[in-house]
This record gives sequence, structure tokens and C-alpha cells, in this order.
Amino acid sequence: MRTVPEGPTVTPTRVLGGDRVTRVAWLPGSDRLLGECSCGARAEGGDPIGMWQWLLAHPDHPAQVAEPDAGAAAVHVPPPHRVVRPEQAAGPRTPLR
Amino acid sequence: MTSIVRNQWYVAAYGREIGREVFGRTICGESILFWRREDGSVTAMSDRCVHRRFPLSEKPSHLVGDTVVCGYHGFTYDADGKCVAVPGQTRVPRTARLKSYPVVEQDSFVWVFIGDDDRSDSVPVPRAPWLDAEGYTTVSGMEPLAARASLLVDNLMDLSHETYLHGGYIGTPEVANTPITTEVDEDAQVVYVSRHMDDADCPPFYATSTGIQGRIVRWQDIEFHPPCLYLLHSRVAPVGVLPHEDGSDPDGFHVEVVYAITPETEHSTHDFWAVARDFALEDEGVSDFLRESNRTVVLQDVVALDALERVLAGEPDGYQELSINIDTGGLAARRIIAAQAAAGAEQVPESPAVLSTR
Repeated sequence: MRTVPEGPTVTPTRVLGGDRVTRVAWLPGSDRLLGECSCGARAEGGDPIGMWQWLLAHPDHPAQVAEPDAGAAAVHVPPPHRVVRPEQAAGPRTPLR
Repeated sequence: MTSIVRNQWYVAAYGREIGREVFGRTICGESILFWRREDGSVTAMSDRCVHRRFPLSEKPSHLVGDTVVCGYHGFTYDADGKCVAVPGQTRVPRTARLKSYPVVEQDSFVWVFIGDDDRSDSVPVPRAPWLDAEGYTTVSGMEPLAARASLLVDNLMDLSHETYLHGGYIGTPEVANTPITTEVDEDAQVVYVSRHMDDADCPPFYATSTGIQGRIVRWQDIEFHPPCLYLLHSRVAPVGVLPHEDGSDPDGFHVEVVYAITPETEHSTHDFWAVARDFALEDEGVSDFLRESNRTVVLQDVVALDALERVLAGEPDGYQELSINIDTGGLAARRIIAAQAAAGAEQVPESPAVLSTR
């Protein structure tokens, strides 16, 4: 596992010093996040939703962070955005002559 | 359930807005009247006369000494909200009293406590000391937002939007392209998001105000105190120029950007903004430039968030969002605010009448 750079560099170092500080570092040069719980548990993951779920499970951290898109259908077709109020309609509502 | 977090201090105004004139503003859905006593201290109370609900901030309501006189029938209230005179009779009804609010004037802001008054002492008033500290010069303003407060929180917690929404002012490609580090202190309820760019374009906001030519080190360190106070510690310097080992930083330019995010209603927000700098302290040209530039940036956000509110207001609940790495800090802020709202909702009175007859 890669480690978060530390020391007097331009990379952000630890700032908050409380007893219950959680930390998520976006690993430079990658799309990966490294989460660190106040208990010292660490894990890598691919999106912040899964990472926060893993961190907030303290003290029962799952073995792994849930990965994004795991189990998602290859082709996901989202539902249409429903417009119910005229002021939300897209485009000009002026008459065309 | 309300989305507004109760039992918290909120910025209601700048101190300069409140004087010896009645001043009304809606904070967290409550109509509040503010004025200064003759000794200069600020007082706050409900902005509706108990008689026929006339707004006490509406002319011809006015101050007489340390009392406010309703402009409709002359009901007169002291600085604690107690009715001391009614027209045509000597007996003042015992229930003739306005709800009063705990108020603190600090760091150029007037803060008001929204919730159960007896809890105000146990909730600290957040600090933004740069705004009236020696060694800093501050420009500030407020823009009304026709959008819920959470949209402004989302906006400010993820500064990658600067690249797209504020290009040519504060946004450059490096902002969106630089990874962030997020820390959350669960006990202090602080969310801290750092984005340190070691070789970035210098946007006009900083090039013009600092005079730096060429590329820069640019640090953005967000310190958010949910639900309402946002501090952006911004440091810029020529490329390669870092703070000294001992922590001193004589060669860096520091800008403290402060936002106070105060819900007006469930769907509108007071967007207080301030920019404090530790350089060019006496330069009026720099002050004018930063004031105009930041206001322009705020108005760009206002247009975007007002449009977003119109979309969301008519949407059924449950539309699915998509979050990616840039949202790590914003998600943390949302979680803390939701927990604060749930805790505060336990004390919400069932009807406004309960508030007015305490």
C-alpha cells in the first residue's frame, strides 16, 4: 500500500489534532483514496461514499472499502428528469413568430 | 423535518448594518428585529408586535431611547422585548412580550442564537478573528441567495468548481486537477479540506492584488465549522517559496476568505462574504479590486445556485446524485449537518405560537 507523503513539502500535512480525527487523502497521480481512522485502521478505496462508509463503521471496519461500480450494470440508463412546474422548463417560453 | 439546524449561532448581520434605526432580517425562518441601545450594544427580538403583528422594523415604527415604538398603534417595548406601554390605558397585559434573542457582536459580525435560549451559553460562537484584527485589511458584503443553504455548503466545500464557474477570476486548471486531503474532527465538528498546488497559474484575483508575476504556489485550506461558518485559508507565493521551518511565512501572501452561511428560510440564504488580507494593507486600489472581484465571484455562484434551487424545488425526493473524489469534504459536511439538524429538531416547538408566549 502506498503511504501518504509527510513532512515539510507542499503536500498537505496533518492539521487537525483531536482524539477522533478521520482522514481521507487522495493519492497523487491516481484516482485512489486512502482513508485513515482515528484508531489507526487504514484502507484504500475508489470513491468517497464507500470510503466514508468504511471509516464510519469504526470500530468494525469491513475488510475492504466497497468499490464504486462494483455490481453496477454495464449499461445504466437513468430515468428522465421530470418537470412538473413551468418555471423549471428548459429553454425560452416566449412565443415564436 | 426542517433542514435548518437549531441551537446554533448564526451570523445575522455585519455590525455596521445595525445602528439607531430599526433593522429587520429573517434568520432561520424567524423574523427578527435588531437595534442598538444607547450604550452601543445590539439587541434582538421578534419583529412582530404582539398586538396586530405589525413588523416593528417597518416604518413608522421607531426607537425612542432604549425602547421601540410600534408604528401602527404605539405598543412600546424595552430592549429585552418587554412591553412597557400600550395606548390609552395604564395596564399593560402581562403577556405583552416579544421573544428576545441572545446576541453576540464579534469579529465584525452580529451573531444571533436560534434555538432554546438557555442552551446558548453551552454553544461556542465560532471565530473569524482576521475580519477586525490588526495586521489585516478586510472587504466584505452579503448577497441574498434564492437557494437553500446546503447548496452553498456544497459549493464552498468543493473548490474544483472554481475552474469552471469562476474561470478568469479565481479559477485555473490546476484547482480542479489537484487532489485534496480531507480531515474530520468528530468531537470539534470541523471539516478541513486541503488542496495544495505547487506550480499553478496565478489567476487575476491574486496576480493583481499581490503583484506576483508568473506561476505560483497556491494553497487552499478550508476549515468549515458546520453548520454555518466557512473559513478558507488561502496562501499564494511565487513558485518554490514556502513557509520557513519554524512556521513563519514572511514571503507568502495570506488571504482569509470567510463565508457565513445563514439560512433565511428553508429555500433561501444570506450569503455573507469577507476577504481579509495581510498585504497592501493601506492600498485602497487593492481593496476596491478585491471587493469587486469577490462580489463578482459570489454573484456567479448566486446565479448557478438559484438555478439549481429551481430544479431541486420541484423534484420528487430520491433523485440519485453521483459523487466522486472531489466531493469527499462536502459529503463529510453534509453528514455532520444532518446529525446537527436531527439533534436540534428534538427541541423544535410544535408551532410558532409556542415561541411567542414563552
